[in-house]
Amino acid sequence: MRRVRARMLEFLWQHFYTSFLRFWLKWFIRQVTRKCELQRICSGYKQGAPRTVQAEYSLESSKNKVLRAALNVEENMVEECAEAIMMEKKVVSQKDPTFKLNLQVCLLQISGYKRLYVSVEDLRKQMFDSEKAEHENMLLKLWDLLVPSVKLESRITKQWGDIGFQGDDPKTDFRGMGMLGLTNLVFFSENYTDVARQVLSHSNHPKLGYSYAIVGINLTEMAYSLLKSGALKPHFYNTVPQSPKLEHFHQLYCYLAYEFDKFWIEEKPESIMEFNRYREKFHDQVKKQLEEPDVTLYLRVDCK
Amino acid sequence: MGLLSILRKLKSTPDQEVRILLLGLDNGGKTTLLKQLASEDISHITPTQGFNIKSVQSQGFKLNVWDIGGQRKIRPYWRNYFENTDVLIYVIDSADRKRFEETGQELAELLDEEKLSGVPVLIFANKQDLLTAAPASEIAEGLNLHTIRDRLWQIQSCSALTGEGIQDGMNWVCKSVNSKKK
Repeated sequence: MRRVRARMLEFLWQHFYTSFLRFWLKWFIRQVTRKCELQRICSGYKQGAPRTVQAEYSLESSKNKVLRAALNVEENMVEECAEAIMMEKKVVSQKDPTFKLNLQVCLLQISGYKRLYVSVEDLRKQMFDSEKAEHENMLLKLWDLLVPSVKLESRITKQWGDIGFQGDDPKTDFRGMGMLGLTNLVFFSENYTDVARQVLSHSNHPKLGYSYAIVGINLTEMAYSLLKSGALKPHFYNTVPQSPKLEHFHQLYCYLAYEFDKFWIEEKPESIMEFNRYREKFHDQVKKQLEEPDVTLYLRVDCK
Repeated sequence: MGLLSILRKLKSTPDQEVRILLLGLDNGGKTTLLKQLASEDISHITPTQGFNIKSVQSQGFKLNVWDIGGQRKIRPYWRNYFENTDVLIYVIDSADRKRFEETGQELAELLDEEKLSGVPVLIFANKQDLLTAAPASEIAEGLNLHTIRDRLWQIQSCSALTGEGIQDGMNWVCKSVNSKKK
C-alpha cells in the first residue's frame, strides 16, 4: 500500500513538474541568467553526449512547434533551423557568438541518429539475392579478403564453413539481418584486414572455436537492436560531431566483432553451445559502457 | 497458440516439468517457431549458435522448449539435450528438396537414439507459405514415416512465418504428452 502511495506521489510530482513547474523554473532562471535553456545547455555542458542529450531532452519537452520540429530537421536545413530557434528564443548572436554553431552540431547529431536508423533499416530489409551480381560479388569479396591464399572451388561449396557459414551456400544465413549482415562482415575485413583474419583464426580454434560469419551476423543484430533502442546515442554523440552515417555504424560493428572475440577467449566457455549465455553477458557489458556519459566504442588498432 | 495455453493444456499431467525439444537442419525454421510460440517478434532472427530456450511457469508447473542449432558442426551436441524429453518436434524446410535426404537421415538417427526411445515425435513440414514447398504427404512418404512403430508420431504442415498449422501441431503435442504420462 505504501509503495502504491509513493508511486502515486511520484507520478503526481512528475506531472506537476513537466506541465507546470518546469515552465516557471525555466522562466525564472531565464530572468536571472538572461539566457534560454538551450543556451545554458550549450555553454554549460561539454560537447558530445553530455550536451546533445540535454539539448534533445529540452527540445522534446518543449511546447514550441519550431523547437519540436528541430528534432527531425533535414541535414541541409540545419542552419536555417538554428536561426529559426534563435528568433523564437530571441537569442542575439553577438551576445553569444558560439551558440549557433554549437546548436547546429546538436541538431545534426539528434536528427542524424534518426536518419541513420532509417538507412540501417533499409539495408537490413534488403534480402541477400543470388540473382543480383552486386550481392554475389560482395560475398566472393568477403572470401578473398579473409582467405586470400585459397581459391573457392565453386560458388556452392563446403569451404564456406571455413569462414563460419552454416552450410554450403551462405545465402540462407543472412536471414533477418539481410544485406546489413554481409556489409558489416565485408567492411570489417576490408578496413581491418589483419584484425579480421586474426579473429577468424581464433574462431577456428579447436576448443574455443565458434562460427565466424554466423557470430558476426549475430553481432550485427546486437548493434542493430542497440541502435533501435536509442542506446547508441551517447556513443555517436561523442564520436561523430555531425550527422552519423552508415560507415559509422559499420565502425561500431567492427568494435563489437573485435571485442566479442577478445571476451570469448578470455571467458573460455565450455563449448559453442554456451554461446547465448556469453552473448548476453557481453551485451550487458556493452550496455553498461553505454551508460557512461563519455563512452566511445571505437576500435583502436592500426588500419589494414 | 502461445506457450501459456500449451502449459494449461498440459496441466493434467502429474509431472512438474515438461520438456519439448526442437531439432532439425539449419534454416528449417526452429527459432521462428519458438518465437511464434512465445509471441515474440520474428523479423530479425539470426542463425542459432548453440541453443535458445523459452520457459513458462504457472503455479509451480513448468514448460521448457529447447531450440538447438541445426548447423552440421553442432549436431554432435544434440545428444546432450535428449534426457527427459517429453516430445520431440522435428522441423523440416519443405521447400528445400535438395536436403530432404540429409534431413531424413538425421531424423532416422534421432529415432534410433536410446535416450529418445518411445518419445512421441511431431514433424513440422514447415514453410508451406512458399510456392515451392512439398506437401506434407509427399514428405511423409519420402521419409518412410509409416514405418515408425515404436512411438506416437504425426506430421503437420505449417508455416512458422504466418503461424498457420502451428496450433494443430501443438494440440497434438499436448495430447501425446498427456497420454504418455498417464
